[in-house]
Amino acid sequence: MLDRLGTGLKDAMKKLAGKTVIDKAAVDELVKDLQRVLLQSDVNVKLVMGLSKAIKSRALEEEPPKGMSVREHVLRIVYQELVNLMGKDVTVTLGPQTILMAGLQGSGKTTTTGKLARFFQRKGLRVGVICADVFRPGAYDQLKTLCNKINVPCYGEPGETDAVKIVQNGIPELKNSEVLLIDTQGRHALENELIDEIIALNELTKATHRWLVIDAALGQQAREQAARFHEAINIDGVIITKMDGTAKGGGALSAVAETGSGIVFIGSGETIEDLERFDPDSFISRLLGM
Amino acid sequence: LLSEKDISEPLDELEIILLENDVAFDAVDSIINHMREDLIGKKRKIRTSSEDFVIEALKNALLDVLGEGFSLTNYIDTHEKPVKVLFTGVNGAGKTTTIAKVAHFLKSNGYSVVIGSGDTFRAGANEQMRTHAERIGVKVISHQEGADPSAVLFDAVSYAKAHNIDVVLADTAGRFHNRANLMNQLDKIKRVMQPDIVTYVDEAVAGNDAVIRAEEFNNTVGTDTVVLTKADMDTKGGAAISITHTIKKPIMFLGVGQGYDDVIPFEPERLVNELLGAEN
Ligand SMILES: Nc1nc2c(ncn2[C@@H]2O[C@H](COP(=O)(O)OP(=O)(O)OP(=O)(O)O)[C@@H](O)[C@H]2O)c(=O)[nH]1
Ligand SMILES: Nc1nc2c(ncn2[C@@H]2O[C@H](COP(=O)(O)OP(=O)(O)OP(=O)(O)O)[C@@H](O)[C@H]2O)c(=O)[nH]1
Ligand SMILES: [K+]
Ligand SMILES: [Mg+2]
Ligand SMILES: [Mg+2]
Repeated sequence: MLDRLGTGLKDAMKKLAGKTVIDKAAVDELVKDLQRVLLQSDVNVKLVMGLSKAIKSRALEEEPPKGMSVREHVLRIVYQELVNLMGKDVTVTLGPQTILMAGLQGSGKTTTTGKLARFFQRKGLRVGVICADVFRPGAYDQLKTLCNKINVPCYGEPGETDAVKIVQNGIPELKNSEVLLIDTQGRHALENELIDEIIALNELTKATHRWLVIDAALGQQAREQAARFHEAINIDGVIITKMDGTAKGGGALSAVAETGSGIVFIGSGETIEDLERFDPDSFISRLLGM
Repeated sequence: LLSEKDISEPLDELEIILLENDVAFDAVDSIINHMREDLIGKKRKIRTSSEDFVIEALKNALLDVLGEGFSLTNYIDTHEKPVKVLFTGVNGAGKTTTIAKVAHFLKSNGYSVVIGSGDTFRAGANEQMRTHAERIGVKVISHQEGADPSAVLFDAVSYAKAHNIDVVLADTAGRFHNRANLMNQLDKIKRVMQPDIVTYVDEAVAGNDAVIRAEEFNNTVGTDTVVLTKADMDTKGGAAISITHTIKKPIMFLGVGQGYDDVIPFEPERLVNELLGAEN
């Protein structure tokens, strides 16, 4: 990974090659290069500035370990700081649990709910799904169609306007499920009533996990939005969707930073099979355009 | 006369403001660099600070980029009917909802509308479009899931012709610009239904990718007008600048919520004032 990082930032790295003491100008240039690619990948401006500062001071203050070249030393610092940005490692437990899906309108919650149902089903668990979206036309049809494809029970009450009531009814209906997935309607930070609704759903279900679904293309807004969701229901994992497009997913890193969580899964296509576990190295590669 | 030194601090600050508001990096770079060249050596009025002068210049530059917008009703009034509008864009951007809003808007303004439910791919897409259409009282033409979208939209156009309908609004499945087969399908749809206006829909909260996909859609299927959705998500709308700067096509509407009335004509001045602060 370190070598590839070097090629990703190649012009700036060249200036550090063969050096025996660290040259401030070369580090500044490297950081500037890094800033450019991170901003182009939608990493939050404030995160980028924080990361730049950390890299600069560490590169100039820390002694390179014995036998390590200046170039390697700086690369290692850059890599470590980038890995930090990825947040915690999230382990997905393969046992009984309830997962509450949350996110902005159109981010990919319903599709991802279908993918997760498939994922846990393949691990040999009994899965049940509840449609708690009382707003979007066709929401139940969409989720039900996805669940039917894999023979997973899907509870919903099309026409009902109270999401909490649906979930209340759905839980006993699906009591044989080991993994319970709850799809919710899209909402954003300024929609107070909807934020209250998801708080109520979280309290009712005592969800084991509350996962925030983020579109890979989401820009600077990711930070504020994630902060609001986190304040409401304590997000403990982020899923980045639509990584099969050209967006880099840097916005989701703000969500990780705001929630102190990590990335659980990556959505990489429209079919129910297109779900991948998160791999920090390949994510960093993509972020830096390598 | 303004020197490089006078303008460099205000320009650096403005650069950060644009970036924090989701104007794509390359668009910011190009706009700011252009201004840097343009401003050096300019005379500034006595009693305006160089900072105010730079802000004013940036406002003008952004207004230039954004253009005047596009009036759909003017277009309809001056063209042969039915006017056919094809909606394109990536997954989940808000195409289907926008069509429902635009249909409602046109209907309220006295135009007759038919919708073609051209997303035959995504689960629940037909049900979504039909429910919207029923609620706003507009006819929708749809086929089964899995059917050929060109055929659906051809039928919608035929229906409009046979019934003297003013406007056809054609939905398509969301797709990414890097999927050649899906982009070819859009091409075929275009050949079959011969749209008068191809409208590209993206969300106001999209970051740098807004530029890449707008450009690809414009290059492969063409774009005449743009709709930006989800402008209610506390965003200042930097994506509008990214997109118009890249493809130089006018913005037709902004989506500002999920209700049928939540569609507004685009006002460039308002956007720029919100972006840079209205105090100036
Ligand atoms: N290409 C691609 N498309 C995706 C992915 N995830 C979701 N989508 C598509 O994105 C669009 C929106 O997905 P939904 O699952 O309906 O999003 P949602 O968050 O449930 O939307 P609301 O319920 O309206 O808030 C659909 O066209 C999906 O097929 C992905 O990983 N890749
Ligand atoms: N807050 C807000 N939500 C919007 C707006 N426009 C659309 N939405 C929501 O975004 C989600 C996706 O909208 P759709 O109209 O289904 O998007 P689409 O582009 O047709 O999606 P696909 O057909 O799956 O590609 C829905 O929940 C809409 O209600 C808007 O202006 N503001
Ligand atoms: K989206
Ligand atoms: Mg949904
Ligand atoms: Mg749609």
